[in-house]
Amino acid sequence: MSMTVGRSALAIFVVLLIVVGVGGYYIDPDPDSGFDPEAGYDDGYDDGYDDGLAEVPPDTDGDGVPDEFDACPTVAGLPEYGGCLKPPKITVVSDVGGRGDLSFNDMAFKGGEEAETDFGVEMIEIISSTEDDYVPNLRLGALDPDVVLIVGVGYLLTDAIIQVATDFPDKDFAVIDGFAPGMPNVMSILYEEHKGSAMVGALGALLAAEYDYPYIGGVFGIEIPVLWKFEIGYKWGVNWAMQWYEDTYGTPAPGIGATPMKERVLYTYTGTFSDITKGYLAAVPMYEQGAVAVYNIAGPLGLGINDAVNELAEAQGLDSGPPFWIGVDANQDWINPGFVVASMMKRVDRGVYLATQLVIEGTFRDVVEEYGGIVVLGVGTEVSGVSISGISVSTLADLDEFIAMGARAEELTGTTILPGTPSEIRAAVEAMRNAVPDWIWDAIDELAQEIADGTAEVPECSFGCDIDSYRDIYG
Amino acid sequence: MSERLWSTLRSVAPPVVAIAVGLFVGALLMLSFGFDPVRGYVALFRGSYGSPEAWMESLAFSTPLMVTAITFAVGMSAGLFNICAEGHMYMGAAGAIAVGGMVSLPPGLHLVAATAAAMLVGGLWALPAALLKMWRGVHEVVSTIMFNWIAFWFVLYLIRFHITDPGRAERATPAMITARYPVLGGSLTGVIFVVIAFCVAIYFLLWHTGLGYELRLAGDNPDAARYAGVSFRRVILLTFLIGGLAAGLAGGSQILGRPPSWTVYATLGNLLNLGFQGIGVALIGRNHPIGAIFAAVFFGGLAHGGRFMEYEVGVSAEMVGAINGIIVIALALPEILRIVKRVRAVKE
Repeated sequence: MSMTVGRSALAIFVVLLIVVGVGGYYIDPDPDSGFDPEAGYDDGYDDGYDDGLAEVPPDTDGDGVPDEFDACPTVAGLPEYGGCLKPPKITVVSDVGGRGDLSFNDMAFKGGEEAETDFGVEMIEIISSTEDDYVPNLRLGALDPDVVLIVGVGYLLTDAIIQVATDFPDKDFAVIDGFAPGMPNVMSILYEEHKGSAMVGALGALLAAEYDYPYIGGVFGIEIPVLWKFEIGYKWGVNWAMQWYEDTYGTPAPGIGATPMKERVLYTYTGTFSDITKGYLAAVPMYEQGAVAVYNIAGPLGLGINDAVNELAEAQGLDSGPPFWIGVDANQDWINPGFVVASMMKRVDRGVYLATQLVIEGTFRDVVEEYGGIVVLGVGTEVSGVSISGISVSTLADLDEFIAMGARAEELTGTTILPGTPSEIRAAVEAMRNAVPDWIWDAIDELAQEIADGTAEVPECSFGCDIDSYRDIYG
Repeated sequence: MSERLWSTLRSVAPPVVAIAVGLFVGALLMLSFGFDPVRGYVALFRGSYGSPEAWMESLAFSTPLMVTAITFAVGMSAGLFNICAEGHMYMGAAGAIAVGGMVSLPPGLHLVAATAAAMLVGGLWALPAALLKMWRGVHEVVSTIMFNWIAFWFVLYLIRFHITDPGRAERATPAMITARYPVLGGSLTGVIFVVIAFCVAIYFLLWHTGLGYELRLAGDNPDAARYAGVSFRRVILLTFLIGGLAAGLAGGSQILGRPPSWTVYATLGNLLNLGFQGIGVALIGRNHPIGAIFAAVFFGGLAHGGRFMEYEVGVSAEMVGAINGIIVIALALPEILRIVKRVRAVKE
């Protein structure tokens, strides 16, 4: 008896398993998606993937628009029959930093959200938990016929983008900070970090002059050519500021101006992008020697610099700097209101927004061809005649959107991130900015203008550059 | 129904029941968070096995697991709880980079040398734990956990100071073109054939040689083995060596046979946990070298297909992990019970 029960139970399970297994191939998970399981992922393109469908749909009136779409309204940038389709999708694939990094990845997603509002696309966030996820995560979007653009956030994804973009020549890809020139369907979006670093270098030097400090500082991550770009730009900015002060006021700058030219910037390569303690350890002696501000060029190590500043502030009972630190990538002014004088902002969000805009307007591939695949965003830059900046010194105007980003990260991570209510933060940052004399901010604006119109040329030292020759000049 | 068919069915029944239970509990979890479990599973399994491209990605994820599972499975066969695969795998990857990325050799030979280096370094790393066990009776769980950490920090140190990619702080030197397995499609490369051949070779060693018989006897019935004059020290050494070679190959497979990076990242992110996952794979594969191959294919499918559950149905990444975990636990349970039963029997 029990044997029979066992047998029938077994038989039922085997049948169930077969049903689940076979059913998996033929049940349409989302009847609205237009996905036809028997046809596979048909993207309507002749891309070499056998999806079992005729690649050319019937078009009896010969107007180039398939019959089933003849009655559709036209939408700019989409295929002519775009009006009948669902909103196009973009996928944004993070690096292993993921959501809530308050920097790179969060900014990319922010750009995608803005594109959703302005262009009616739907953004799908894909988080990579290990480096092995990059290729399959990029392929997710490549396989989805509704996806028009796949964005990889960060140069870590460069190799993966090249691989997937080669496999899917009909899809458009963008990679932030990556360098993948010469592919018709890949836009590499790079930033002029040296120019932004020059501006915050000038800002720091003028603060040192104003408050009579002998130095400014910089905490760097691992010494790689990309970081030389920041280092030399920063040092160049200090020199520009000293020259500007002398030209404007007729005397050498006080404080830092008395320090020999090649010794004005205290800097340390910590050898890490993750060990926050090393950021603290590097910053403490800089402040002790008299650095008015320390520039964070090591991602999360900024939190270590922040600890060093907080210690000084507590010991001396300060509500606001000096001493300051200077943020990087995102607007980090809200992290410690009153002590982050400004941030060198690299607008990753603008890059994602731009790529989406070009795809929707239908000019993506033309722009890729025009620029050989490499689009550079910086100070006063233009892309195909449209001005779009990717580098700037943070202002009060853009603070709110980054406070909102912090609030979002609080939701996602379940930890307290914002140091106060948004209005408190805003008030403290505003008070700090007002306490810094106007002539300093005006000087920074002047430098931005000179950089934009080409009268000031910031040296760019990156891959293949002889860093020592620059250090001979700038220290 | 013939006896033979019936007995085959009976041995197949536990995993089938386990799959059903795992899928059912996972479905309950999805339902409780308001997701449609049918859509979820369809997305999962179509994502992992629904097309040739999906198969290639899933197999790429399963390749290292086949051999890290061997490490644990062979240990279990000999009655050892060998959880050293993680550390051996790191060391194997470092060995692969040292030869594959830093030495120039003619094509063909380079690939062989780099693969051999990965396995040898993994095997050598097994010696300290094996000798401690053989001569001082140090329990392998304690020693291998510690050796795993030593390997972790040692390889991080190597990446930082000795096998660094100049100009790319985030990773070690990639394997040279001559030391890369040919890409079969997607992320899958020819290294999978080497890995499968290794599994089959281990199967023959265990079930068709005297040495393998001694090894299994030492695990199944230590008293009988002792009576028969089996050298336990030799069994321990052999077990650890095979485990080290296998896990070293797993590490090497990620360097020499995994595009697009062909190297290890400075976080070890593309190696992390492959050794520990091998334990689960071995348990699902009933600690059998051939079973490990199929279990790894299943495991790799879950690892790759999970993202489709997230993408198509909106199930969060954490939940995908939980559902996969439930399925894995359910599948491993029959073997865990068997091991517990055997340990009890040996103690009595």
